[in-house]
Amino acid sequence: MRVICGLLLGAALLGAQDTRTETLANGMKVIVQEDHAIPNVSMYLFYRIGSRNERPGTTGVSHFFEHMMFNGAKKYGPKQFDKQMDNAGGNNNAYTTADVTVYTDWFPSTALELMFDMEADRIRDLAFDPKIIESERGVVYSERRMSVDNSNGGALRELATATAFEAHPYHWPVVGWPSDIESWSMDDLRSHFRMGYAPNNCVMVLVGDVHYDQAMALAKKYLEPIPRHDPPPPVRTKEPEQLGERRVTLAKPAQLPMVQVLYHVPETKSPDTTVLHVIQTLLGQGQSSRLYKRMVDRDQLALGVNGFVGNALDPTVFTFVIQPRSGVDPAKAEAALYEEVGKLQSEEVPAEELRKAKNQLLAGHYRSMKTIEGRANLLGTYEVFYGDYNKLLSADKDIEAVTAADVQRVARQYFTAKNRTVATLVPEKPEVKR
Amino acid sequence: MKRWILGLALCAAASAQVKLPPYSREVLPNGTVVFLVQKTGLPLVSFHVVVKGGNESEPQGLAGLAQVTAGLLRRGTAQASADQFNEQLDSLGGTFGAGVNEQATAVSAEFLKKDFDRGLALVADAVLHPAFPEEEVRKALARAADGLKTVKDNPGGAIGQYYESYFFGASHPYGRVPDEASVDRIRRQDIVGYHDRQYVGKNLIVVVAGEFDPAAAKRRVAETFGAAPAGDAYKWAEDHPPVASGGNKVLLVDKSDATQTYFIIAQPGVRRSTPDRVPLTLVNTLFGGRFTSMINEELRINSGLSYGASARVEMNRLTGGIYITSYTKTDTTAKAIDLALEVLKRLRDKGITAEQLASAKAYVKGTYPPQRLQTADQVANILAEMELYGLGRDEVDEYFQRIDAVTLEQANAVIQKYYGTENLTFVLLGNAAKIRDAAGKYGKVTEKTVRQAGW
Repeated sequence: MRVICGLLLGAALLGAQDTRTETLANGMKVIVQEDHAIPNVSMYLFYRIGSRNERPGTTGVSHFFEHMMFNGAKKYGPKQFDKQMDNAGGNNNAYTTADVTVYTDWFPSTALELMFDMEADRIRDLAFDPKIIESERGVVYSERRMSVDNSNGGALRELATATAFEAHPYHWPVVGWPSDIESWSMDDLRSHFRMGYAPNNCVMVLVGDVHYDQAMALAKKYLEPIPRHDPPPPVRTKEPEQLGERRVTLAKPAQLPMVQVLYHVPETKSPDTTVLHVIQTLLGQGQSSRLYKRMVDRDQLALGVNGFVGNALDPTVFTFVIQPRSGVDPAKAEAALYEEVGKLQSEEVPAEELRKAKNQLLAGHYRSMKTIEGRANLLGTYEVFYGDYNKLLSADKDIEAVTAADVQRVARQYFTAKNRTVATLVPEKPEVKR
Repeated sequence: MKRWILGLALCAAASAQVKLPPYSREVLPNGTVVFLVQKTGLPLVSFHVVVKGGNESEPQGLAGLAQVTAGLLRRGTAQASADQFNEQLDSLGGTFGAGVNEQATAVSAEFLKKDFDRGLALVADAVLHPAFPEEEVRKALARAADGLKTVKDNPGGAIGQYYESYFFGASHPYGRVPDEASVDRIRRQDIVGYHDRQYVGKNLIVVVAGEFDPAAAKRRVAETFGAAPAGDAYKWAEDHPPVASGGNKVLLVDKSDATQTYFIIAQPGVRRSTPDRVPLTLVNTLFGGRFTSMINEELRINSGLSYGASARVEMNRLTGGIYITSYTKTDTTAKAIDLALEVLKRLRDKGITAEQLASAKAYVKGTYPPQRLQTADQVANILAEMELYGLGRDEVDEYFQRIDAVTLEQANAVIQKYYGTENLTFVLLGNAAKIRDAAGKYGKVTEKTVRQAGW
């Protein structure tokens, strides 16, 4: 019953008749989904460039660029992108990951043409003002201080990731090493812009109160004349297989310790990704999940525990985060995690429990489509990370297809001691052991 | 096709007024107020239960009681153990959350349309018949105490707690922030007593939103929530607006490993129902409510001192604060605070222009539909809010007209009324050894460290 319901729902939300696409002559792909429920539009631009396309010395430059894209171009000068949007009743943001830089615009449909004009302006003719670059350097450093240096979780994640990846560019943080933030030059910025901001390296998604013909007419007017050029060179370095557990510690004044455990897993496109999503749900989603029941509730070892895998173009990591309770030895919490992961390897998941996890995943999938911004982000994410936005249509079928044997096989394949990195935050003023 | 061509031509014209979708409001015999609002498109239904009271209804010395009670609703009921409840909830792919703010406990849960009956039964069971098993209470209290420690490890979150405690003071309901001592004092009988007193018909608002059969929903809600005891209506606390007098005061909180200083600069503001709310929203949008606001423009865009700076007007049942908040690296602490004060003074001395006001109007109207009226949950929240604060549907239906009607004189009068430059409250969290001198510039300093219990 639930299966059928799920499939129908997926089709209703994202039926092929609602979502249309065209690739412009310069290689930019435009995806449009009409929804006239509210008089607003979400416009998302996914550039296939992120910190994986950087090199030592200029780490963090993709993220820095995300900031610079708001600092003026030829037609719309400094501050104008934001001010024009404000005046038109819109707002915006952007995010950078290891793989992509995404620009997110939300606005009333009356501002559609303005948005095409402004996005085209900054892709084609971004300005590089040395004074603004210096000021923005301070902003980015402040962002790093907030999200890494003054955040226990952020600082530990940076260390854990740098330890798990020795060769591949996922080694360095998206925000960049402090010394690189301090020393990017104008030349670094110019060459990065030339490398990443080609129209053929971008997917544009529009969801909301737009008409397909109108959107395509504007795309042809404003975006199509921008010449194509070479996309970023392929990332050649592959992370060698990990051949033994790696352990690191971070000593820091803190009230409570923290543990992060990372296992190497394949890139998002791999069929094993959906199985990993089922595993992350079985282990950590909801108060009936295995890790919550065992570690948070029964044994009271942790205040919180979860596991997740993010989207990635190259092989990535599955991360567990444990926030131990006060007085609990982090090693004890770690041992409990391994025991629960071990059970997934040694015993098949009961059918009822697997059903539950699938229902949670399906319902969560639908929830992420409630808003026009949620759908714009999903369409772009599927296009870039899964290779085709249509995969979104079959996501519920992929979830349904996961078997108990798949769960066991995937857990055995990736969650091994040899394949893991363990990072522990040790409070400098030690807690009294229980 | 015509519509969009027209749309482009009328680009500069005022946006049409948005309206609430049709809904029904009914008061059950036990006092429970029930809203049903249909929003089609997704086969999901959500249940929102609001219990009047919130933080202000907690007995003196037991701060945290409302949140602990809310967290325990799903940890064992008359019908089901915690494990049984959570198995059922997760098996349906449902969600269930319970949070507390200044004036209410809000439970929201969401299910697939076809699971309407089972979902509603779960929610009603948790809200009306929690068993508060001894063992679950013990575990919840211990977790709450540890939760306070993780807040202190997170300076961006901790500064908010220090602000509430210091700005409102211990005699004000909003100044009674849960801490190690108050959580330690909570007993099971306090929780049971709180639930018996607050979770009664006369204090309940129930909103059903999404896709459902209205006749069946009406019947099922009456059978479940209508069966709760009527109880006594919660007697709201009287308003004791924070008073600004006697010069600036400064709280300096030491976190010795901090590499940047988090700060708040506060003064008395308004309550949610203030007649000034529309012009104040417009003014604060310009001052500190969006990326291009005056405060973010100076502290981030022009100077690079911070990743972000903003200003907030608290809108609760009782009068709250208006505050600037930002962070900057340790050695630019005084520079950033001075700049923030300069922007505040400029706002007060020069006011805003007609052009700025027009931009704020466009911004508030343009961002309203996606943020407040797009999903069934958003509409449910608005309906519950209207009921809680005694506002009418004109709050939404006439919102755009009210925005359009605000004159430049009204906006500038609001600035003179609320954005003062004296008797300010400062809270600074950072490396005290390095910012102590800077802190002393702004007023009389009280010092604490994050290692001390309490806020």
